Amino acid sequence: MPILELTSLTKHFGGVHAVDELDLSVEEGEIFGLIGPNGSGKSTTVNLICGVVSVTAGRVAFEGRDITGAAPHRVLAAGVARTFQNIRLFGHLTVWQNLWVAQNSVEDRRSENFAKRWFFGSGAARDAVDEQLEFAGLAGKRNELAANLAFGEQRRLELARALATKPRLLLLDEPAAGMNLEEVHALDGRLRTLQQAGMTIVLVEHVMELVMGVTDRIAVLNFGRKIAEGLPAAIQEDEAVQQAYLGGSVETAHA
Amino acid sequence: MDDIYLIAVLSNIGMISFIALSAYLLLVVGEISFGQQAFFAVSAYGSGIATAMWGWPIWLGLLWGALVAGAAALVVAIPTVRLRGLYFSVATLAFAEMVRLIFEIFTYQVEIEGELVGPDGSDGFRDIRAIYDSNVSDFEYLLIIYGLLSVVLIGFLILERSRLGAIFRMIGEDPLLTEMQGLNVNAYKILAVVMAGVVAGIGGALYAHLATYVEPKIFNVMLGVHALAYGLIGGLGTAVGPLIGVAIDIGLLESIRAISGYRMIVFGGLVAVLLIVRPRGLLDEAAVHWLRGRWRGLVRAEN
Ligand SMILES: Nc1ncnc2c1ncn2[C@@H]1O[C@H](COP(=O)(O)OP(=O)(O)O)[C@@H](O)[C@H]1O
Ligand SMILES: [Mg+2]
Repeated sequence: MPILELTSLTKHFGGVHAVDELDLSVEEGEIFGLIGPNGSGKSTTVNLICGVVSVTAGRVAFEGRDITGAAPHRVLAAGVARTFQNIRLFGHLTVWQNLWVAQNSVEDRRSENFAKRWFFGSGAARDAVDEQLEFAGLAGKRNELAANLAFGEQRRLELARALATKPRLLLLDEPAAGMNLEEVHALDGRLRTLQQAGMTIVLVEHVMELVMGVTDRIAVLNFGRKIAEGLPAAIQEDEAVQQAYLGGSVETAHA
Repeated sequence: MDDIYLIAVLSNIGMISFIALSAYLLLVVGEISFGQQAFFAVSAYGSGIATAMWGWPIWLGLLWGALVAGAAALVVAIPTVRLRGLYFSVATLAFAEMVRLIFEIFTYQVEIEGELVGPDGSDGFRDIRAIYDSNVSDFEYLLIIYGLLSVVLIGFLILERSRLGAIFRMIGEDPLLTEMQGLNVNAYKILAVVMAGVVAGIGGALYAHLATYVEPKIFNVMLGVHALAYGLIGGLGTAVGPLIGVAIDIGLLESIRAISGYRMIVFGGLVAVLLIVRPRGLLDEAAVHWLRGRWRGLVRAEN
């Protein structure tokens, strides 16, 4: 059974067919690439899965359960976390608080203890936050306001915050946008580490260097429709894909 | 300056602080309410009825007033929680005006010792005498006001350190992102509105018993607008902010006799200037974070 299955998923914004009868199935444990030119419907697909925008037609199933149209907090509770194409953090909160609340929202669902749930969080959550700060390389910035972090640090914090909710499926919307090569390599390493730990990842990305290297399979969208799907090497050769990227080769499409 | 005047000003600052904290809590969750005066009013009437008409002791009257205000807030919160921004503001304003108009016609009187006691529509509600009947002096009442204010303020400061406090700030900054942390934003917002209602209610109950007389027109929208302005002046980074706002307005502006006739103009100008130079008030989040950092540094240096 695929961990994520989209069936004829469709989203219209007025006359715009942002996502058009999209079928997609992601297997547990894989890193699945979702690419396509700007405006091809990648972010909308992520938003549909997460319940951020309403579904026009079709179905989203996670671990065999229908989550079509579920409220965002329920989708997260089911085990799906995501990051945003434009970084979204709680700038007024510290780095530590950003992770701490996310971490506790998982505990929240289990804890019957009033004080723990609403006031102080659990000790286990605190330890987990420390671990995540290490993993993200942000241990030295714990008391900094998120708004004051450098761009690369904010990206790392966003990923850490998504991980803090202990998802089984992680949706990353252009996590490498604006990163330098060194940062892209570090991200590559983190994604592989996560995969080894059993995480399933859907990677929406323009930086081909990252996508072609780290993904197991790739689907390509154009005008909301899937125009190709397969192994990275095959996608690179695919004619329809090259056409979609304005006749250029996929490798140079850093749009 | 004589003591009676000083006690009166300080009592006023204390009571208004509750409604300022109430509006502040909603500003923290990102909502501008023009209607917190309604909960102040509901509790003023509710507690007055309890003590003057039903003969309840003061403390129980205060508790009752706060509870009734909380219940009223719940009634408002459930239908309005889905509204955002301007729509929420308009809904709270409409509710508060509705409450005021209801009190304009609300008559409920009983005869006590040959006199009619109780709310009498637009003529108001006289003889809420509980604190005078039990010989509480104005100074003792001042201590009660500040005792309760301290309890509420400490509650707010604990809240700010807590997970719930962080969640409230998250909702204020980005409700969708908060939702995506697995948190039911609407449920937390209802909680915030109810808490804000209870806090305003404590102030309203205290007010009714000090004034001994309330009438609907006291609770007009200007009270709510001031309550909002206090947080915006003092700052949204900590609950101390709105209290600074109240102190600046009532303590400073009102006591400088030279500007007495122009107080509203000075106050309005102050709010306008601050909104431009410090949109989230004097003690905004960044300022509070900086102060906390200094404080931690000091504590570390001591050890
Ligand atoms: N909230 C929205 N309202 C209207 N149109 C939208 C909205 N979100 C996306 N679109 C449109 O849907 C199409 C797909 O956008 P998007 O999913 O953001 O593409 P991508 O992430 O692949 O660049 C675009 O034409 C975009 O303009
Ligand atoms: Mg996009």
